[in-house]
Amino acid sequence: MSYQEKRTITSVFVGAVVLAAYCIYAFGRFNSGMAAADDLRFWASTMLIFIGIGIGAEIIVQIIFHIIFSIAIAIKENIRDEQCDEKEIEKKIERETVEDERDKLVELKSLRVGFTIAGIGFVGALVSLVLNNSAMVMLNILYLSFCVGSICEGIAQFYYYRMGL
Amino acid sequence: MTKKFEITNNIRKLRFFADEMTQQELAEKAGVSRQTIIAIEAGKYSPSLELAFRISDVFGVKIGEVFSYKVQDD
Repeated sequence: MSYQEKRTITSVFVGAVVLAAYCIYAFGRFNSGMAAADDLRFWASTMLIFIGIGIGAEIIVQIIFHIIFSIAIAIKENIRDEQCDEKEIEKKIERETVEDERDKLVELKSLRVGFTIAGIGFVGALVSLVLNNSAMVMLNILYLSFCVGSICEGIAQFYYYRMGL
Repeated sequence: MTKKFEITNNIRKLRFFADEMTQQELAEKAGVSRQTIIAIEAGKYSPSLELAFRISDVFGVKIGEVFSYKVQDD
């Protein structure tokens, strides 16, 4: 499995964990009666906090992933050739993590998948308002569709890497 | 009736005749990742015109000797 594929899986995993954490926290509070459906301040602030957590977690996990990936390559290279120097290891890491036109195309195509799902979610959110659902339902459809869109974008990215463009 | 184009390549053969050049070596010379060379060789990715020229430059042959396309009628 290539660096890009592993990075995509990590990204999808982080997205899924943040989404699950939001659902557990927000709907947990709602079900226990600690948050009301019309308390839009609570829903908006919770979503903002979880957007921040999502971005922060993604950055931190990607940094950790890159460090672990580099260490794994260094260990592999040392096992293969005990006399290999740092420059060789650095070169190997650079080779494994290089991004080219195919990566950009995969990113672009998968981004389209993510935007499509987010777009469908936006329309769904508006439809929910037309159908007399509360603003909380509309906000949650909007937020969840963006989260699911992001996860699907990662899945599409993995699919394109595996199956080709 | 629609026409479908299938792009094929001779990269594997050209690598063999270039002293069994590795995919990594070709990738470095063409300025792409090894994964991209693997995908092109397997026919899972059609490179840009620029990359196609760079690959043919590596082997010192014309682009038509590396890539060719077949027309398929549906």
